[in-house]
Amino acid sequence: MHYPEPISKLIDSFMKLPGIGPKTAVRLAFFVLTMKEDTVLEFAKALVDVKRNIRYCTICGHITDTDPCYICKDERRDRTTICVVQDPKDVIAMEKMKEYNGLYHVLHGAISPMEGIGPEDIKIAELLKRLQDETVQEVILATNPNIEGEATAMYISRLLKPTGIKVTRIAHGLPVGGDLEYADEVTLSKALEGRREL
Amino acid sequence: MFLTHLSLKNYRNYKSETIQFANNVNIILGENAQGKTNMMEAIYVLAMAKSHRTANDKDLIRWDEDYAKIEGRATKKNGALSLELIISKKGKKAKCNHVEQKRLSQYVGHLNIVMFAPEDLNLVKGSPQVRRRFVDMEIGQVSPVYIHDLSQYQKLLQQRNHYLRMLQTREQQDETVLDILTEQLIPLAAKITLKRHEFLLLLEKWAAPIHYEISHGLETLQIQYRPSVDVSERMELSRIIEAYSEKFATIKEREIQRGMTLVGPHRDDISFSVNGKDVQTFGSQGQQRTTALSIKLAEIELIFSEIGDYPILLLDDVLSELDDFRQTHLLDAIRQKVQTFVTTTSIDGIEHDIIKEAAIYKVHSGHVTAPLYD
Repeated sequence: MHYPEPISKLIDSFMKLPGIGPKTAVRLAFFVLTMKEDTVLEFAKALVDVKRNIRYCTICGHITDTDPCYICKDERRDRTTICVVQDPKDVIAMEKMKEYNGLYHVLHGAISPMEGIGPEDIKIAELLKRLQDETVQEVILATNPNIEGEATAMYISRLLKPTGIKVTRIAHGLPVGGDLEYADEVTLSKALEGRREL
Repeated sequence: MFLTHLSLKNYRNYKSETIQFANNVNIILGENAQGKTNMMEAIYVLAMAKSHRTANDKDLIRWDEDYAKIEGRATKKNGALSLELIISKKGKKAKCNHVEQKRLSQYVGHLNIVMFAPEDLNLVKGSPQVRRRFVDMEIGQVSPVYIHDLSQYQKLLQQRNHYLRMLQTREQQDETVLDILTEQLIPLAAKITLKRHEFLLLLEKWAAPIHYEISHGLETLQIQYRPSVDVSERMELSRIIEAYSEKFATIKEREIQRGMTLVGPHRDDISFSVNGKDVQTFGSQGQQRTTALSIKLAEIELIFSEIGDYPILLLDDVLSELDDFRQTHLLDAIRQKVQTFVTTTSIDGIEHDIIKEAAIYKVHSGHVTAPLYD
């Protein structure tokens, strides 16, 4: 298939995005042709802006357009608690809850020797540095409940043991508001393991 | 349970075929290389979501096609079951009663099968890997949690081996990560060890009397589990965890030197002994066969005791491998209760009433001719 060069370049660019295959890329590229020039310009500007203006917060590692980020800057937040997550998207998920009022620390990954990611490749050293002054009293480990996330949580908890800071791990089990019958066997067995007395 | 219908689309040498089966014995008759074993494999894949012959799912797709589809309808004790498995180059999609199953561990176990193929004679004399695979497949059919634990264990094992290799080559120095991976590995290893131990105890309970009978009361079969830690005195989860922790602590240096995990369920073995002697080393061909047969027959009973329904039995080209007496024993054992699929190139020479009652399907280059019902 021969596309004029500008189009094939655009198709190639779309294909660099996750979840976009060749067919979708062609469809998107042809759609761009039908868009108004203003809209296309705005779109292009948004792409450049996000790259130019969004950085990682030098304190917590969350995505931000101001440094430090709005969470780290917020005086009303509880500075004695840090919630450790793997990804900026996890911060956004936690924030949606509107219940947690502490600070965050984004690791940008999890320990996984298979992918060549060791403790030094994620922001663990930065976390330790933040814990040096004595304001923080609790670290909540909210890494993903899979092998890598679990290993990362265990690693951090081991490092923090000598400091005497309280380290907690988020629970796993049944989703709230769901029906027991729809839960898969593995989640159910985890929920059963973590049962508590009433 | 009974498999009543099977549809194959682009599966191996089948283009599009729908077959209706009888509830007792179904004989798949045909020359070599016509598709008999492919059909057995299809039933196996429908139940287990993977093949016993190949680890590469793409092999199952007909040449030059994009996907293969296997559909089956079964009658179980507590109602009807429909299964659908689509194998494409991107992966597998499994539906159970028309609902897509996100995890294959939730799909496996709806249709229970026991397969006896010539390779199964390797169960006794083959490598430990063959025996571990057998145990995993069988436990997996009745315990989805076991499949999950096992896959988690294998993932962790890979992570740990990778890290050990990094420590070996001094690419990494931090032993804390190794300790964490060990700490994660131990409870999984212990759960798998305990489950295997329990399964083999049950298997022995069912297999020993069968073996005794086939051997005309001359042989006593014993099945012994050989895990890589010694926990013979007390098989409890807490004790196994302790045993693994102690063992891992003592071999840490050696593991770093070798760059691999040296202890755990991936190194288990099972030994079979007859009258106190190891069948693998000292058993005759005949004893090895009797052992394999007893174990397969025991599996049928074991599944029945676990789920209250008989599994489906697949006999792929094995009748010819057994002598008359063992053949008779096998056919007597399944009579009237277990739906059975038998492949063979010829039914001459099998003298058993069961063959006369059987439904016979002829397979010729990927086409099936159904029996004529009156």
